[in-house]
Amino acid sequence: MRNIRRNPDIIWREEEEAREEALRAMERGGDASGDGTVLLVVSGMMHQLNLLGGEIWKLLDGIDEERLVDTLAMTFDVDRDTLSRDVRDFLIDLDRRGWLVHE
Amino acid sequence: MSRIPFSPITINWTLTFRCNFNCRHCYSRPEKAPELPTEQVKEIMAKVAKYKVPFINYGGGEPLLRSDLFELTEYATGLGFNVSMNTNGFLLTQEKAALAKKSGFKTVGISIDSTRPEVHDDFRNTKGSHKKAVNAAKFLKKQGVRLTISSVICRINHTELEDLVRQARDLGAEQISLHNYKCAGMGFTNKDELDLTPEEWKEFYLSAIALRENATDIRISMDDPITATIHKAPDQAIVKGSTCGKLSLNIRANGDVTPCGFIPVVIGNLLTDDLKDLWDNSNILEKMRNKKPKEKCLTCKHYEDCLGGCTARAYATTGDFNSPDPHCWVAK
Ligand code: SF4
Ligand code: SF4
Repeated sequence: MRNIRRNPDIIWREEEEAREEALRAMERGGDASGDGTVLLVVSGMMHQLNLLGGEIWKLLDGIDEERLVDTLAMTFDVDRDTLSRDVRDFLIDLDRRGWLVHE
Repeated sequence: MSRIPFSPITINWTLTFRCNFNCRHCYSRPEKAPELPTEQVKEIMAKVAKYKVPFINYGGGEPLLRSDLFELTEYATGLGFNVSMNTNGFLLTQEKAALAKKSGFKTVGISIDSTRPEVHDDFRNTKGSHKKAVNAAKFLKKQGVRLTISSVICRINHTELEDLVRQARDLGAEQISLHNYKCAGMGFTNKDELDLTPEEWKEFYLSAIALRENATDIRISMDDPITATIHKAPDQAIVKGSTCGKLSLNIRANGDVTPCGFIPVVIGNLLTDDLKDLWDNSNILEKMRNKKPKEKCLTCKHYEDCLGGCTARAYATTGDFNSPDPHCWVAK
């Protein structure tokens, strides 16, 4: 399986305060998908990723998809199939935007 | 609106108010402040780096007048910043372009306001400045530095948009930044002569947005909240309205912090104050982030996206952040 990395031209930063809040909301069983926990600047445009997207993004430093899902399963309490599907959809979206590099 | 990021994304930094030019629109000519020595600028850079601010952009005054410019840039790059600058290009020789590359500049923006040299030179009050700016752009390209062209839109050039974009593309720029005319400093003194009417702004932005949608080989950037009335911001827009004080802050030559270069209200000084403390607790920033509609904005259907337009222009002309943007073309 191929390893996946973030496109190195993309400038990004974790929004620690937003992430902590989203994690707390998730623990309480609330909606954690609102505020961006990772901000990216791509060709002068800003984008934000929600909690799951942000956690995936941070792990993309040369990881294969299976290991990625394993790691996320430690934080996100959802069944494996749903998680795998969400991760796959998200990676397809990132790839389509040109934000990934495959090794 | 989404939440404000935990610290600024961009710091616009006036390292010096000195300039070799005397442009007719310049916000900073009347500004005077002692300049910090190299070590104190570095001290502030290190404090700012603690809060993971990703971008520093040197504005003007003319950054190339600082003899320590490349030393500072190398230091800032080492701290993890993505450094860029705006320059009039007059002093940007082949040798300086090589130093720009070596010191780590990610992008350099050259100001060119017309494709007609005599118009640019007259606006910038300096003969030969168009030619030098074009040469500077070529030197940067040769060194492999990413290039942006900045044009201040006003009476002299608002009808030559396509030519401006073509010129920037021919010079190999990745982006052309169309800066809206600001009524600050000399821009305020000369506004009757140089600023456009609200109707002319509308016409200009309609053409610029149409051009942007079809431009594939160059980015056309226009950071003007008033365009929310004719063009819905992308869904992922992080904040609405003016971005000053929400995504960016401005540092002056003496370390003073203002919400933006065009709003001369000092909220602290980074030699003594903590960036995060100012970002989280400044009353001025709080007011800019939570504007209240006033006058015609009260009944305007665009308020949610526009938030009264450019706060700097409103403040410069009325002294009130909440006043409607004087460039607004929406009828009362
Ligand atoms: S606009 Fe720039 S180049 Fe012109 S006088 Fe002001 S700082 Fe100098
Ligand atoms: S009236 Fe106010 S909210 Fe409406 S477009 Fe004009 S400045 Fe923006």
